[in-house]
Amino acid sequence: MTRVSIDPVTRIEGHLRIDVEVEGGSVQKAWASCTMWRGIETILRGRDAREGWVFAQRFCGVCTTVHAIASVRAVEDALALEIPANAQYIRNLILIAHALHDHIVHFYHLSILDWVDITTIPKADAARAATLADGFSAWPGNSRHKLEQVQTKVQGLIGSGQLGIFSHGYWGHPAMHLSPEMNLLFFAHYLEALDYQRKACQVVGILGGKTPHIQNMAVGGVMNAINLNSLATMNMDRLGTLQSIIEDLIPFVEQTYFVDTCLLAASYPEWFKYGRGVANYLAVPDLPLDAKATSFDLPGGVILNGNLGSVEPIQHWRDEKFRAAVAEDVTHAWYEGTGALPPWKGKTIPDYTDFQEGAKYTWVKAPRYNGHPMQVGPLANVLVGYESGHPLTRKWTDAAFTKISSVHGMKVTPEDMQSTMGRYLARGIRSAMLSDLALKHWQLLTANILTGDDTTYNLPQFPNHEISGVGMHEAPRGALSHWVVVEKGSFTNYQAVVPTTWNASPRDEKGVPGPYESSLIANPVAEPEKPLEVLRTVHSFDPCMACSCHTMDASGHEFAQVKVL
Amino acid sequence: MSASGPARVCVVGIGNVLLGDDGFGPLVVEMFRSIYECDSKVEIRDLGTPGLDIAPYLYDADLVVLVDAVHAAADPGTLCIYCEDDLLSRRTQLRLTAHDPGVQQSLAQLRLAGHGPSELVIVGVVPESCGLGEGVSECVVKTCLDAVNRIARLLTERSIGCRRRDSPSPPNLWWLTGNCLAARPSHRASVEHPVSADA
Repeated sequence: MTRVSIDPVTRIEGHLRIDVEVEGGSVQKAWASCTMWRGIETILRGRDAREGWVFAQRFCGVCTTVHAIASVRAVEDALALEIPANAQYIRNLILIAHALHDHIVHFYHLSILDWVDITTIPKADAARAATLADGFSAWPGNSRHKLEQVQTKVQGLIGSGQLGIFSHGYWGHPAMHLSPEMNLLFFAHYLEALDYQRKACQVVGILGGKTPHIQNMAVGGVMNAINLNSLATMNMDRLGTLQSIIEDLIPFVEQTYFVDTCLLAASYPEWFKYGRGVANYLAVPDLPLDAKATSFDLPGGVILNGNLGSVEPIQHWRDEKFRAAVAEDVTHAWYEGTGALPPWKGKTIPDYTDFQEGAKYTWVKAPRYNGHPMQVGPLANVLVGYESGHPLTRKWTDAAFTKISSVHGMKVTPEDMQSTMGRYLARGIRSAMLSDLALKHWQLLTANILTGDDTTYNLPQFPNHEISGVGMHEAPRGALSHWVVVEKGSFTNYQAVVPTTWNASPRDEKGVPGPYESSLIANPVAEPEKPLEVLRTVHSFDPCMACSCHTMDASGHEFAQVKVL
Repeated sequence: MSASGPARVCVVGIGNVLLGDDGFGPLVVEMFRSIYECDSKVEIRDLGTPGLDIAPYLYDADLVVLVDAVHAAADPGTLCIYCEDDLLSRRTQLRLTAHDPGVQQSLAQLRLAGHGPSELVIVGVVPESCGLGEGVSECVVKTCLDAVNRIARLLTERSIGCRRRDSPSPPNLWWLTGNCLAARPSHRASVEHPVSADA
C-alpha cells in the first residue's frame, strides 16, 4: 500500500489537497480536502439585501457573475418578484458568455496538458497534422503554415531549456500516448483559445458594464438602459457589436473545442472506464425564456444510482422538492458539530483540527440531496437533458457520438458518459449547446426590444417580517444555489451551496464519500511519484476552490508537491 | 516606444477585498483613480482574484502595472517593486499562493502566442494579515499613497499622460464600509478617507 498526497493540486482555481492509497497500480481509497477557509457568507449577515450581490460576486475571482446572479435571484425568490423579459435575456447572455469562457479555459489551459505531451511536438510532421485535422474539422487555424509556426515556437521553448510553466508537466509519462501530430494540433488550439477566451469576456463586459465584477445587476432586474434612439444606452449599434462577437465565437466552439473533446475521447477511449464515482446527478433549470421564468432552455432534474432511464424533473425555481431535499453535513468538515442542516438554518462556525482522515479533514461541507451525495456539472446537465429528451442536448450529444465513432469506430453510449472522459466530453457538448443558445438569446432580446419594450427593472418592496428564498443557477461547474433569509430588508442568514461543494464533498455522517473521492476509486496510477492519472480524474470536474486568499509569494518556499509516503 | 508613449496601458489591482490586506491591489487602484487623471489609453481596473482570467488584460498591452499583496522576506507594509524577470525567475519564486494558475501562466501563454505585454511592473506590498472581513492593516494603508505615487511616476517616466487632479474625486471603497469596518480589530486603520491624510 502506497500513500500519495498531492498538495496542492495544480492547474485548478484555489487550493485542493488529494490523498490516495494506491495498491496494485490503482487507487483503493481517496480523500479530498480544501485547505482554504470557506465561510465568506458570514460577511453578508446584516447587509442590505439589495446589495448582497456586490459582495457575493467577490466570493470567487473566477465565477464572479454567477454569484452575482444567484444572489439577486435568491432575493427575488424571497420577494416573489418577477423581473422583466429584457432582464432575463440580458442575464442569460452574460451567463452563457461566462460559461463559454470558463469551459474553453478549463479544457485548453487547465486540463489538456494532462493528455498532450508538448515535448514530442518538435518531432511532428506539420503537413501530416494539417491533413489529419482537415479530416476532422473545417477550422481555418489548422493550416500547415499555422501549425508550422506553432511548432517553431515550441521548438524554441524547448531549445531554450527553460520550460517555465511547462516544466512541471509529466512529460514522457506512460499514460500519454498521442502522436506528435495530435499533440501539435491540440497545442495549436491551446494558444488560439487565448483569443476566444477574450471574446467571451467582451460579451460580459458590454452587457455587464465591466468585467470582471459586473455592474449592471439589481434585485428586480438589470440596470442596462435601453433606448434605440440614444448613443449612450443599449441600442442597435451595441446589439450589432454583440452579435458579431457571438458570431466570431461560435465557429471556434463548434469546429475546434467541441471537435477536440471528441478527438480526445477517441484517442483515450480507456478513460470511459474510469472515474464514474457518485452516479447521482443534479442539474437545475436555467436560461428562463419569459419574465415569469415558467420555461427554460436548460432543463433541471435528478438522476439517482446511475438509473439514466428515470429522471425526476426539477421544472422551475420554486420546486418544493428541491428546497426540502438539500442539507449540508459538517461531520467531516472543520465546522462545529456533526450531522446535516438545511441551508436556511445553516451555520458556519469554524472548528479547525488537523487533517484527520477518520474525523474532520476539509473546509468543504458535505451537501446532500435527500441524504444522497450528488455529482453536479456539465455531465449532470447533459445526462438530465439527454434522458429527458431535450432536443438541443440530443442534437449535440448525438453529434459527439457520431464524431467519435467516425474517428475511432467506437460506439459511445450515455452509460459510458459516466466517467472521467464523459465529463470532458459533456463540457464540450454543453459548450456547443450554449453557442447555439447565445445566438438564440441575442435574438430574443433584440426582438423584444424591437416590440418597444424597454423595461429592465421592477422595484423591490421589502416587508418587515422574515422571508426566505433560494436563487439557482446552472453554473459552468454545476448546480449553484444561494439561500437567503431576509428581515426588514437585511440578510439574517446567507448560505451558498456551490458546485465544488457538491463535487469536493467529504464523507458525511454515514461515512459516504463525495464525488471526487469516489471517482478516484480504481483509478489507475502507473507511477505513484507521478500521479498523472489522478490529476486527469480530478481535473475532469473543473475544481474551483476559490473564495480564497490570493497573494503573491516571493519567499521561495517549495510550492507544488507530491508526497509518496 | 514612440514619442507619444505606449498605446495601451493597464493598471490593474489584484486581490480579494473581503480578505483584509489581500485587498491592497483594489484599494490602491481605486485611490489612484481618485487622485490622478490619466490619458484615455490607460485602463484602470480592480480585477479581484482573476486566476487565468487576467489574460485579456495582459493581451497585447504595452505596459501593465500590476498591484498586489506579495509575500516577501520584509516587514508588513513594505512596498516592493518587481519586473517580469523577477516574477518568472526561479531564484525569486515570486508567485501566487492561492490562485495557482494566474499571472505567471497567463504571461507564459501569451508570450508563446505572441500577445504578451511589452512591459510588466509589479507594485506590491507585504501584508500583515489576510483575515476575512477584517479591513486593511494600518501599516498597509500607510503604504497605499506611496504605491499610488509610484504608479504615477512609472507612467510619467514612460511619457504616459498622468496628472494629479486639482481636487481628488471621492474613491469608491464600498467594501470598507458598514459592518465590515465595525467588526475590525482595534489595530486596524480607518481607510474611509485615506486620501485626505496626504492632501
